[in-house]
Amino acid sequence: MLKKMDTSASALFLGALVFFLVGGLLTTVLPWLSEKSWAQPTAHLKDYTESEQRGRDIYVREGCWYCHTQQIRTLEADTVRYGWRGVDAPISVPGEYTRDKPHLLGTRRIGPDLARVGGKYDKSWHKTHFNNPRDLVPGSVMPPFPWIVTDNGGQDLDDLVAYMQTLGRGQDWRPDDDYEH
Amino acid sequence: MSDTTKKGVWSEPSAMGFIVSSVVFFVITVLVGVLVSLKFIWPEFMGTAPWLTFGRMRPLHVNGVLFGWLLAADIGVLFYMVPRLCGNKLWSEKLGLATLLLFDLIILAAVFTTLGGYTQGLEYAELPFVLDVGVTLAWVMFGVNIFATIATRKHEKLYVSLWYTMGAVIWTAFVWITGNFATELFTGINQANLNWFFVHNAVGLIFTPLGVAIAYYFIPKSAQAPLYSHKLSMIGFWSIAFIYVWTGAHHMIHGPISQWLQTVAILFSVMLIIPVWTVIVNFFGTVAGRWDVVKQEPILKFLMTGTTFYLLTCFQGPMHSLRTVSAIVSKTDWVVGHAHMAVLGAFSSFAMAGVLFAVPEMAGRKLHSKKLANQAFWLFLTGGLIYYVSLWVGGFIQGLQWNDTAIPFIDTVKSMRPYWIARSFSGLLILTAVGLFLYNIVRTLGRQGDGAAEAPSADVTPAAAS
Repeated sequence: MLKKMDTSASALFLGALVFFLVGGLLTTVLPWLSEKSWAQPTAHLKDYTESEQRGRDIYVREGCWYCHTQQIRTLEADTVRYGWRGVDAPISVPGEYTRDKPHLLGTRRIGPDLARVGGKYDKSWHKTHFNNPRDLVPGSVMPPFPWIVTDNGGQDLDDLVAYMQTLGRGQDWRPDDDYEH
Repeated sequence: MSDTTKKGVWSEPSAMGFIVSSVVFFVITVLVGVLVSLKFIWPEFMGTAPWLTFGRMRPLHVNGVLFGWLLAADIGVLFYMVPRLCGNKLWSEKLGLATLLLFDLIILAAVFTTLGGYTQGLEYAELPFVLDVGVTLAWVMFGVNIFATIATRKHEKLYVSLWYTMGAVIWTAFVWITGNFATELFTGINQANLNWFFVHNAVGLIFTPLGVAIAYYFIPKSAQAPLYSHKLSMIGFWSIAFIYVWTGAHHMIHGPISQWLQTVAILFSVMLIIPVWTVIVNFFGTVAGRWDVVKQEPILKFLMTGTTFYLLTCFQGPMHSLRTVSAIVSKTDWVVGHAHMAVLGAFSSFAMAGVLFAVPEMAGRKLHSKKLANQAFWLFLTGGLIYYVSLWVGGFIQGLQWNDTAIPFIDTVKSMRPYWIARSFSGLLILTAVGLFLYNIVRTLGRQGDGAAEAPSADVTPAAAS
């Protein structure tokens, strides 16, 4: 069988295709079929409002997701570090992401994870931070985004902050709903 | 075959066009990478306009290097290799040139869409839908040319490089469609799983088989020695065809996907040592006893360092997919060091070797300067090593600090500064190396009045390929 590959391009073609498709289908189609929870939203998840969706589009456009992940991993370091006011951040679950396209789980943390950042900081903090991050966090390497603060008469900032405040609220993890606005 | 082929700069316009285009993009995209890396040291550097921010420029560097340089170079070198292995000409130079034109138009359009913030928001798959369709069309055109050349070959036997080439054409088609079209049908974790299937297999089943195909051709040819073991090459090919595709989820260790999928990815990641080992033994076995030639020849130096970094990449990758290691290094700069060792240290080295061999051969001229090629090699190697090692060390420290929750996150950012400075310095060395590489190619092609030079073929003019 393998010997035939030495001279038959069509046999090699079929072999390469079949070998690939075994693993390819089992790692892409099978999870989609078997992992129903990946498509079932958590009880607390809400659809994005128009403002939040516009804010999300800005987040994607500016490439925020290259520097920030949005996933609390099954690691104590993640739950403690990204918790707040004495409460550990809950581990991220698939159902929190069902409304997200593109998903923004991310692969690099040049800045901190943002999975539970919604409601930690108020709008004025975000405004100052987007305008120049080093005004609030000396040593930060985050770019300044002054155009977001001013574009569309401030609507862009409102939209982006509205989106930021949604992050991590697909689970009910705050006591007394103590979010900043 | 070469005895009866008229040689000249444009005697094989598809191969030469892709190669020249790719090397130009290599210099540009490495320059962009250096500029981006400086932003880690001076975050307000070039920061006055939206299109010059990190979030816009970084994907230009990443996608530019992967597709503008590396994939285009691989295609060009394959257009050189495949006809020679088949004993005939490329099936259609017109189709090849049309592919090049489409490919370059896509790259140029991607510059504007990327800097303009038009993105699908998926890593390695940022291109807007229209450009995705263009790339698909270009790949089909390339695949048709390759398969038709093979189908009409004069040599019956298929050399191992042809297996990897055919495999890559098939696998790339499915991987690309999954990563750029199927992902658009899903949201959330279902989409993420497809995205990482694509990200991982872009390296594993596009650039790996193309790079290995090139190395299998040029190592025996440059060393003037027969391939060490045909049987090993068969084991290597079929094991990579089966194993690599399973491992995409190892980018999601500890993340919100199912534990069984993570475990499967880890197991198959470790098994990747099988195809890698067979390739390494074959390449080093072929060159064994000829290390004096390696010392003199820049092409063999690129090939053997590429082989070494391929081994290191595929030892390091499986190790950091293990849960305990991933708990430290995932999401850190270690991953960036790893990715650059693969793309730059391994597969770009293979492609550069192919370019250095193919360009003079096609043009019927000697390389402008072997000395320059050796200088480019040492700069490339030195810059690369500083890059990889600084980010491994820095990334590991970063990961340890993240796991110590007493350390504020901003302090872990500050601690990376010396490693980021080293990274930018290494980028300058790599940029210089790539600049010398381009200069060497241009001077080789542009030389006039050389005894070995021949006029371009009457039926093809340089303008047709540029």
